[in-house]
Amino acid sequence: MKKLLKHISPLAPDDSGACSVLYEMGGITVICDAGGCAGNVCGFDEPRWSEKPSALFSAGLRDMDAILGRDDRLVEKLTKCCEQVDGRFTAIVGTPVPAVIATDYKALKRMAEKKTGLPCITVPTDGTRLYDCGEERAYMALFEEFAVKRHEVKKGRAAVIGATPLDTGFLRADKLIGNVRAMGLDEVVCIGLDSGLEEVENISSAEKLIVISPAGIRPAGYLHEKFGTEVIYAYPCLPEEVVSECKKLRGKKVLIIHEQMAANALRELIEEDNQADCATFFMAEESLSKPGDIKIAGEDDLREKTAQRGYEVIVADKFFSRALGGFEGQWIDFPHNAASGRLRQ
Amino acid sequence: MREAFYITAKDLSARGPENIPGELQSAKHMIYSSPATLDFNSPGAKGFGVKRAGLAVPGSVMLLVAPGCCGRNTALLNELGYSERFFYLLLDDTDIVTGRHLTKIPAACEEICEELGDKPSAIMICITCVDALLGTDMERVCRKCEEKTGVPAVPAYMYALTREKRLPPMAAVRKSVYSLLRPQARKSNECALMGYFAPMEDGCEIYELLRKAGIKKIHELGRCRTFEEYSMISRANFSLVLNPEARYAAQDMQDRLGIPFIEMVRLYRLDKIRNQYRLLGQAIGAELDDGEYYEKARRTVEDFREKYKALTFAVGESLNADSFELALSLLSFGFKVSEIYGTVGERNFVFVRKLAELSPDTRIFSNLSPTMMNYERRTGIDAVIGADAGYYHKDLPCVQFNDEKQPFGYFGVIKLFTELDKALEGRRERQ
Repeated sequence: MKKLLKHISPLAPDDSGACSVLYEMGGITVICDAGGCAGNVCGFDEPRWSEKPSALFSAGLRDMDAILGRDDRLVEKLTKCCEQVDGRFTAIVGTPVPAVIATDYKALKRMAEKKTGLPCITVPTDGTRLYDCGEERAYMALFEEFAVKRHEVKKGRAAVIGATPLDTGFLRADKLIGNVRAMGLDEVVCIGLDSGLEEVENISSAEKLIVISPAGIRPAGYLHEKFGTEVIYAYPCLPEEVVSECKKLRGKKVLIIHEQMAANALRELIEEDNQADCATFFMAEESLSKPGDIKIAGEDDLREKTAQRGYEVIVADKFFSRALGGFEGQWIDFPHNAASGRLRQ
Repeated sequence: MREAFYITAKDLSARGPENIPGELQSAKHMIYSSPATLDFNSPGAKGFGVKRAGLAVPGSVMLLVAPGCCGRNTALLNELGYSERFFYLLLDDTDIVTGRHLTKIPAACEEICEELGDKPSAIMICITCVDALLGTDMERVCRKCEEKTGVPAVPAYMYALTREKRLPPMAAVRKSVYSLLRPQARKSNECALMGYFAPMEDGCEIYELLRKAGIKKIHELGRCRTFEEYSMISRANFSLVLNPEARYAAQDMQDRLGIPFIEMVRLYRLDKIRNQYRLLGQAIGAELDDGEYYEKARRTVEDFREKYKALTFAVGESLNADSFELALSLLSFGFKVSEIYGTVGERNFVFVRKLAELSPDTRIFSNLSPTMMNYERRTGIDAVIGADAGYYHKDLPCVQFNDEKQPFGYFGVIKLFTELDKALEGRRERQ
């Protein structure tokens, strides 16, 4: 059955992705849920939770709030919260509950802005999609609301889009910034990682936008259209141990499972000596794909395609190994936080 | 930015249970999922939430029928060895609006049974807020699954939306896990302890007291290793309900299986524990001689008091106690309690009234209030009890007191003070 998971647990959902982008923005973020979704985010998908405090709350919806569509109560709670906690804006992140009752996010935004006096962004995630979809929506909402002013472009300044802990496994931006600097850029910010709303507001001053995950493609395209900023696709943070293991491969048929840009970056390093395909459960931009690449539809799909094509090496988070129980070739562990929840140093 | 909200015991008592400030009522404000209180908001993540609790029946498996977001943190349970017992039927955006996923559940159960080879003892079908809103008749779906697979299917309702209702998720799941018991001849010298998913601490005196009263077999869900052992629970002559969340399950067992139940409460005040055992003895027609255990607990507290003199505590709620009752017991032992992080309701307001008499200035905070983001210590505290209290006071000696094995009675008191002694002793050594 296509949507039945028998060996792995669910991957990071869209609401987690949205929260991951908004986490360090200095706003008051409300997950529009009964409590469980916020628990999943704070207790699992947001590793910064115990290190960097953020005004991230659950709306604490109850059945009658949902059945009667009591948006006014939600806004009332939000207004009260704004009196208690500092925030430059408010953000409302969707979950399955507002999806079932067809919450009108535009109305919610208007109501919240009127009552709180703060800008409000809404991210209509529903918990059924994957994290990158939520990230994309959150970046779009942020840029549309706050990346408004055209600043003078500073040569050598770059903004990285798509670098959340879910994508990279990093809690801090320093390593990633160092690697982007090595690309010849001297002033680098990672949007949403060790940076806040100011960097979003000033993003038009960047000479280049470095997009490191498919979640950043559409938002970067939006900024390119608006400000003419150059967009570069790259993944300058492959784990050294994975690269070093993969570089030993010769003449192998390799399958790399990760988010598309990470997988592509690794393929570039090894495809001269090997035949490598990339596979992903997440977004797959057609223009960045090669023939033979796989958009995985589910656990069974992954197992079938892997068996059919006779791969000798799989480079993927070991989290997926249970789904490929019969695989007898070599496995190189390539952690992906959005799958296993594992972080990098 | 506002200071963390608190109210003194005296002021709260004066307001009464019908006038509790909004900041202490979770339905009246946004919920702060502080690292201290994740187990409130994420009952699947820590300890025994609905998902893990649903698997308390030996040999059972769980099918979580939900959007991916509801099952995400189940990965945490993989580390505890549950990875082969969880299955997920993921819902898409059409499913959550139309409910078309319901027709797929029996086939999913069949596929799980094929995958497992050996049939499980039961399939717990866990559903979430989506089906709460769709009004899904899960009993009916479970019957279809049972027809298709020949394996009992039981609903487990992870309805966070109904947390404050008459039947909250953790009470409903208790009914679910006992629902597979079938009527059989009851044995007059057997009883069941109900309330927790993990067993009670081995040293709890309640085992010995019951044995001395003629009970030869004490059934406990958390100690059942096979489905056969689990099935024997319905031989119990009576149940002892040690956690009010098990009341509904016990009521159901009384109605279906004819097993009556007696409710007890976890207490830390020695005189109250003694009184409760006396009443239990009366109910089962036996005199329970608890003198030896009472003395041991009294001596433990006295020695501790002698060693550390007058200490001031902060008490949290992520612990195996009612925060307010535990605070009262500390006061009764001659200590001070300057702060409590807890949830007040009608159920425990009686303790608040007593607190107001004994320690009117004790500050009561709600862990769930957004203002707790701004919490700073403003009272003198020597040691803290509870994982949440430990989060707020990382620099102070802390006893988390939230092990899965459950303390009870005099044993609980002894365990608490033994652990406090260890924590305070450790601090002395570091100094």
